Formats: sequence, C-alpha cells, structure tokens
Amino acid sequence: MKNTLRQVFHSPKFVGGFSIFMVILVILFIYPLINPGDPLEMIGVGTFAEPGIYVSMYDATKTDYETLRLPDAGDKRVAAALKEEDRVAMVEWFTVMEIDISELDITDTDALLDLWSEHYDESIKPKGMTMAKRNYYKRLNRSLADLRAGDTIIIAEENEEGVLEQTDKITATDYVRVGAVANVKLLPLGTDNFGRDVLKQLVSATGTSIIIGLIAGTVATLIGLTLGLLSGYLGGFVDDFIMFVTNVFTVIPGFVLLILISYSIGQDQRGASVVAVVIGLTSWTWTCRSVRSQVISLRNRDHVNLSKLSGHSLFRIVMTDILPYIASYVVMAFILQVSSGILSEAQLSLLGLGPKTTETATLGLMMNWAMLYSAHTNGSWWAYFPVILTITLISFSLNLMNTGLDQVFNPTLRD
Amino acid sequence: MKKILALLLAVFMVVGLFAGCGGDKPVETTAPKADDPVETQAPVVDVTEPPAAQEVVLPRNETLYFAGQQWGTVNSWNVIGTNQNNAMAIAGGASGYRSLMFETLYMYNPLDGGLYGLLANDDYAWNEDMTQMTMTIKDAAKWSDGTPVTAADVVRTWTIGVEIANGTGTTFGAYIASIEADGQKVIINAAVNEAGQPVNPLKVLDFLTGAPIAQAAWIDTLAARCNNDATAILNDAGEDVVWSGPYTKYYADDQKVVLIRDDNYWGQDASMWGKLPVPKYIAHTIYADNPAGETALKAGEVDVCQQFIGNIQNLWLEDGLPISTYYEEAPYGVCLTMPTAWYNMNMPVLAENTALRKAIALAVDYDTIIANAMTNQSPSFADVPRSLMNPTDGEQALYDHDAVADLQWAGNDIEGAKAMLDAAGIVDSDGDGWREWNGEKISLNAVCPNGWTDWQASMEVVAAAGEKIGVEITTLYPEYSIYQTVFTDPAQVEYAIFMWSPEAASPSNPWTRVNQFLGKDYVGVSNNWSGNWGQYVNEEADALIKQIPLTTDQDELVRLYTELTKIYLTEVPSFSLMYRPSVFHAVNESVWTNFPNDDNGIPPMDCTDGYGIKALYELELVG
Repeated sequence: MKNTLRQVFHSPKFVGGFSIFMVILVILFIYPLINPGDPLEMIGVGTFAEPGIYVSMYDATKTDYETLRLPDAGDKRVAAALKEEDRVAMVEWFTVMEIDISELDITDTDALLDLWSEHYDESIKPKGMTMAKRNYYKRLNRSLADLRAGDTIIIAEENEEGVLEQTDKITATDYVRVGAVANVKLLPLGTDNFGRDVLKQLVSATGTSIIIGLIAGTVATLIGLTLGLLSGYLGGFVDDFIMFVTNVFTVIPGFVLLILISYSIGQDQRGASVVAVVIGLTSWTWTCRSVRSQVISLRNRDHVNLSKLSGHSLFRIVMTDILPYIASYVVMAFILQVSSGILSEAQLSLLGLGPKTTETATLGLMMNWAMLYSAHTNGSWWAYFPVILTITLISFSLNLMNTGLDQVFNPTLRD
Repeated sequence: MKKILALLLAVFMVVGLFAGCGGDKPVETTAPKADDPVETQAPVVDVTEPPAAQEVVLPRNETLYFAGQQWGTVNSWNVIGTNQNNAMAIAGGASGYRSLMFETLYMYNPLDGGLYGLLANDDYAWNEDMTQMTMTIKDAAKWSDGTPVTAADVVRTWTIGVEIANGTGTTFGAYIASIEADGQKVIINAAVNEAGQPVNPLKVLDFLTGAPIAQAAWIDTLAARCNNDATAILNDAGEDVVWSGPYTKYYADDQKVVLIRDDNYWGQDASMWGKLPVPKYIAHTIYADNPAGETALKAGEVDVCQQFIGNIQNLWLEDGLPISTYYEEAPYGVCLTMPTAWYNMNMPVLAENTALRKAIALAVDYDTIIANAMTNQSPSFADVPRSLMNPTDGEQALYDHDAVADLQWAGNDIEGAKAMLDAAGIVDSDGDGWREWNGEKISLNAVCPNGWTDWQASMEVVAAAGEKIGVEITTLYPEYSIYQTVFTDPAQVEYAIFMWSPEAASPSNPWTRVNQFLGKDYVGVSNNWSGNWGQYVNEEADALIKQIPLTTDQDELVRLYTELTKIYLTEVPSFSLMYRPSVFHAVNESVWTNFPNDDNGIPPMDCTDGYGIKALYELELVG
C-alpha cells in the first residue's frame, strides 16, 4: 500500500492534478473564515457591480483628511470628464451651429469650455441630429458644468427645522486614506445579478458542486461496480439480464434521460443532493461494462478457482479475490465520475433544471443566472468567467489525477 | 525510425486535409446559381422560399425594422377572426389598437388620456343619461378598394362580432346593446341594467379605441363563403381582407413579416394627417428569443425594439451606441402597469390572515426588486407610493394621497412585519425558526413562469423576505404552458403567491384595473384571464366599484377611488412589486431618427399603437 502510494506520488501528472485540487479545497475551507456570512446574501442593490474596492462615500466625508497638492490632479480630473473624443464631439457641435472655430485650439481646455458655455443650448435641436447624440451632449454638458463648478463641495445636513446647514466642505486637494474609512468593501469578483458577492458565492458553490460530484460519483460507481461484479462473475442469465439493462441505458442518451428525470421531479423537490443522485443514477453504465469485462478476465484465474474449490462464499470471493485486482481501475473510474458529475450539474443548471435557487449556490446555477441576465452580452465577465474557470480547473485536476494513476497502474502505459 | 514514419504520415494527412479543403472551392463556385443571391441577400431572403421571396429586398432607408412583437409565423389576416398571431397588423396593443392595417374609430393617448379621431370625427357625445353615444364617420375615410367607410361598416363589424363571438363581441358584448347607423352617424346604444342605467359607459369608450372596424361588404363575402358558420369565419385566413389603414401585407413567412405602405391611404386627406407615414416598409424579423432581438438592436438591424433590456443605459454610456429611450434618465420609459403578486384566497392560511398578507408585503425589499429585476426602469415605491393607480399624473390625481399615506408602505420593514405577525398570534411556538398558524408550519410558494427572469428575480426577493420574518416561502418556476392553466383556474390551491400584471391604460382605466384587484365579477370564473386571480371577495369594495362607471363628478370619483385604495392597502389581497411600461421602447437611430420622446408629445407606444402611430409620420432619416 505504502509502495503504491509512493509510486502514485511520483507521477508528475498525478501530483499536478492533486495539488490543484488541494489548493481548491484549502481555499474552500479558508475563505469562509476570512469572509464569513451567508454567501447568498444580496448585498448590492442593482445588478453586476464591477470588481474592485468599494469605499463608503458617507464614511469618507466623515473621515479626517490630509491635504495633498498633487501636480497632475487637475489634469486627471479634466481628462476624466473630458476625453479626446468629447473634444472632437464639441467641435462637431460648433460646426453644426456654424460657429467660427478657426482660432480654437482643441487641446486648450479653458478656451474650449468658454466657447462651449457660451454657445451650447440644451433646447436647440439641430436638424438630423439623433436623440442619442443630443442626449450625449446633454450628459457632456452636465459633466463639464461639474468641472467648472469650482473646487469646493459643500456638505450640508438637515437640521431640526428641515433647513440645510453646512457642516463641512471638501476641496479638491483633500484626500482620505482608504484604511481610515470605516467601511471599505473589497469585491474581488464584483456582484452578480442579484447583487451577491460573486467570490463568496463561488467558493460556496464550488463546495456544493464538489459534494454533488462526490455523491453522483459514489452512486454511479457503486451501482456500476455492483452490477459489473455480479454480471461478470456470475455470467449466464444474470449476466444476460444485467447487460440487457445496461445496454438499454447505454443507447438512451444519458443526458436526455437526466433532463427528463430532473424535469419530472419538479423544482420544489430538487435539492442539491437529489440532483446529485439523479446524475449518479444515469451515469453508471460504462463503469458497469468495464468492470464486467475486467471481472470476466479474472474469474477463471487460478486463485479464484482455488477459492471456489475451498468453498468460499460468493461475497468473499468477490471481495477478496476479485475486487482488489480491479480496485485501481475503480478508483480511476470514480475520479472521472466525480468530474463528469460536476459537469452534468453545471449543464443541467444551465438549462434551468438544477437545484432550487434560493437555498444553495452551485456552479451551474451561477452560470444559469448570469446567462438569464445576459452577462455574456453586457460585458459582465466576472459573473460567469470565474465560474467556467473553476469548473475547468476542477475537471482538469481530476482528469490529470486520473491520467497519472493510469500511467502508474496500467502496465501497457508504463515507461 | 517508427517515429519518423509516424511524423511523415501525419504531415501527409495534414497536407491531404488541406488539399481536400482546397478541392471544395471549385464545388462552391459551380454550385447552382440560385445560391448566389442567397449569399448577397442572406439576412433578407431565404432561397427555399417561393419566388415571391426573391422580390423582398427592402431598401434600408425606406424600412422601419421592429423587434419584440411578432413571435412565430402569422396565422391569418382575418381581422374579425381569432388566433391570428399577427402582431404587426392585428393586435390589441396594451394601450390602444395597433392601427397599421386596420383602424379603430378613435386613437387613445395614454399620456393625456385623450381620444383622437381616426375613422370618426372628434365629435363623440353621450346623451344625458349615458345610454346612447353618437359620432360621425369622416367623409374622407376610404377602404383600400376605394369605397367609403360608412357607419354601416361599424354596425356590421359589431353584429358579426356578437354573432360569431370574436374578440370584439366577447369583450364588449355585456356593455353594448346595439349599434345603429344613420347615414354617416353611428349610434351606440349602451347595455342597461334593470334600473335603466348603463352597465358601464367606460367600456363603451374602450370600444371606440379597441375595436378595429372591418368592411361590411368583405364581412358579407366572408360569411357567405363560410356558409355563416361561426367557427369557419373565425378561422378563415382572410387573405382577401379589405383594410383602411396606411399599410398592408406585403410578405410573411417564418422568418419575417413585412407590411408595405398603401400610397392611396385616405389619411393623406387634410381632415386626417395630411400626409403619408414616412417608412415605406414595416418589417419584423421573427427572432428566436429576446437576446436575439437585443443583439439585432445593438447591431442596428432593428430600429424599434419592444423588449425589456436590462441596464439599457450601458448601451449608450459604455458601448456608445446610437440607442435611446423615451426618457433620457431612469425609468427610461412610461410605466403604465404594475406586475403584481397575488395571494391565493383559496388557501385558508392566506384568506383568514390579513396580518400575514400585509406582513409579507411589508417585508419585501422592493428597492432590490426594482434595481435588480427592472434595473431601475421603474419608479420606486418611495417616489410613487403604492395605490391602485399607475404612475401617470392622470391616474395619480384620482385619489387623495394624504388620506391613505398612513396605510402605504415602501417595503423592507422587517421589524414592522414581525411585530404585525406577533400581534396576530402567528408565532414560532416550536422553536424551528418558522412561524405556525393553527399549530401548523406556514409554508407558501412564490410562483411565476420559468424563464421570465425579471419576475423570477422578484420571486426570489419575496422568498428572501419570508425567510427574514420567519415565514417559509419557496420559489417555484413551472413552464408557462402549465402556469397559465393553473393560475387561471379559480379553484387552484397549488400556487400561494403568484404573479400577473393587471391592465395598463385605456379609456376605462383605472376602473378596469381596480376591478381586477378588488371586484368580484371574475371570482369563480373558469379559464379566468380577466382579473382577480386571487379570488378575493369584498362586498363593500365591489359596491364602490359598481358606482364608479356611472360617476361623472370628479370629486366623487376621487372619494370612491380613495375609499377603494384604503380597502386595498388594508386588506392586501395582492401587492404590486414594481411599475413597468406596457410596451418597452428602445430605438436605434442608425437609420431613422425623431422617434417619440419626452419633448414631442407622442406616446412611446411602439410607434404603432393608438395615438402612438403618429410617430411614423414624424420620422426622419439620419443625416
């Protein structure tokens, strides 16, 4: 046993896959400790907040600030409000309004702004100009007004009579240290369509999906192994019957069967574990077939015949004389079943046939909601891409482990 | 050596593969000529179509493309039939009839609540006791065959409607006794009750704007060829139909529907528009689903898109696309209805516990629903406090805001909801975290059709609210085909909290909507698509509702509506989750511009419905 393990851990592929999987598992245990709480809590009001650090504006205004005279602060402010294409668009407006701009230097912000405030009028509707374009100029005008508004913002609070009273003012040179603000929220992967923290949900979902994979893999392997052993060892009518059932299950496309079963269970019955069992129940056939063929090659070996002659029970012969010889194969099959179980859950959930949504997060459900809210078309990559990456990493690591084991145990593949 | 051989073999195979691919090219060039036009006109024409398809090349600058209206192939052009599935030509739009091909007597404008003359002059008038309404048909109005539209056509449209029980007949049958013609004068006799009062004058107004008029001569032809068999008339394809509108059928298959402008349209007369609508063609590609339509809108293949698009502002703020909506700022559109969660009164736990109904409604976080499900394309319940009215000024003026202010709620009031349940004795006595009633754990479901994502998100928020106040609410999303049979069944006990939208806007609203919320007309009606899906009965409210159609005094109307609002907010037989436009309006101005907007007074009714069709006369080409 020790020797086998040593062999296994000398396989670089296995070690690679194993380390990836372990890293994922460690994150699953550590991350909830760092960031505790309900992963399904809707913290954001609104959909798809971008990844980043969120600083409470409310608290920031109440935090002590330092004065920093940064030389390029003003330029940056102008650049944020007035991009190159905005300058070009302003010139377009002047041209449409037939204003003489021969003197104008487009990079001269002050001159540009002066000319703009002199000539822009929201109510003018130039012939043929689209509403989208007019709205653009309105927005531009507003952000330019902010730019010209001076460098002081007054903070006022309502007093008891409902009159605004100035409590503070902020100037362009005031800075707060992020660490000093009472509320700063790091959302490394932003929020999803329900305003839930994607990373927190992803960690929880990965755990659920691995459990679903494990349950599905266990169910499938147990059924496949039992039927394969019986069928291969007993032969005759039992073999015929089991193979008949297996063949029937093989020719029915497994995924279609899975969809039909999930659909007929109905959503109120579909918990994560039910989905896992359903996946397991539809994916045991190939384990069964391969176990059977291996058992057939084993059942006439000398040591098996010897056990038979000694009068050992069927159970004992199967458990001690046959199972150990195919154990390595079963382990590898199990790993693949786990991997395909995770993928099946993702596929099912993507079709809206996964577990109920409010109770658990799974990788498939995350993708399902991201798709329903067109995250892929509106550029909210953080809602689905990390999920895909996680699924890929899990199946990749499991498959890598499987290949590594195969190289160790399969004599024909040994170097 | 083996390896080198293997490598050589691999190289050989790859080369072979390329050679194979190269070999395909001549095949393509020698392909039948019929394929050639397909490639150049791929988006427009399918080569497998009959020859007519080859002619359908629509110049982009003469065609207005739509999305979000027509799903699936057109069934018929029979304006007096049923099940036409013909969204561009025959459709009772949510706020006025779609009058591209068939016209109504009047056009409705939900912005000012006004009725604008279409086939009829602006002279409709009630007699003193509101039992008879008269109006005259415009002299200029003509059918497509050149014959004038007459009052007799209106009469025939009505009589056939009652005879064969089509949409017009069944919708207005209870409110209109008969229609008579006197030259160009149309006389509508309202149905009266035993006391001699009209049953509902408001519904007669709905007839003026909601019933398309068909030609009497064509109806006679149709009836004759169907041997007066009602079913046959209803299901006739109506290929020979005579129309009066500015557009007519040009081409329709499973890919698209195209209407072409009728350049002889009578509306060029000075008594109407004085000109023709601008686009020569109205085209609607039949998209598989909403994302397909949205993608087409972004690409500029669609001009007017009647679909909900989440975070629509990103299309211009981030993607810089020439797309705009009716309002430049949120809520971007004109909200005319409010998708509502209905409590099922067949369930004793809901029917007998007003506190439970109100507590759940108090606890729901509507701001999250509006921000998530509607991506803020709805005013919040803090901006427009909840009542029976939609957010338009006209309806908001119909109730006394101060009188009901104490009853209104803006949501997310967990403590208030808990206190209310505690006071009502609905508490958690066995310590499992869930409250019980009569010793049984309260377990409800929140249901809407699968794939209706904004509603699904809302139901998730309702379920989350239940968890916070200790009432178990689980979400359930059956397929629409199942959902629609269950929620319209008056005896159903499968769905506890379920969603449906009440009426948006029409001349008879808000009365119709109030009747849907509180009236008992629809209680117990099987296959109920009309209203009160929760089967709520309140005699007092019903009596008030019955008075409204006969009330003309504005102060009295306000009093009645205020009373009803009080009952509604106290009894909570249902609760609205958001406000929502009846039709969405997003336009891409790559080709056309001057669409309806906040400035020009044309309602954003998809450029086709009711008075919204005026938009087609105001369009301009870009540049």
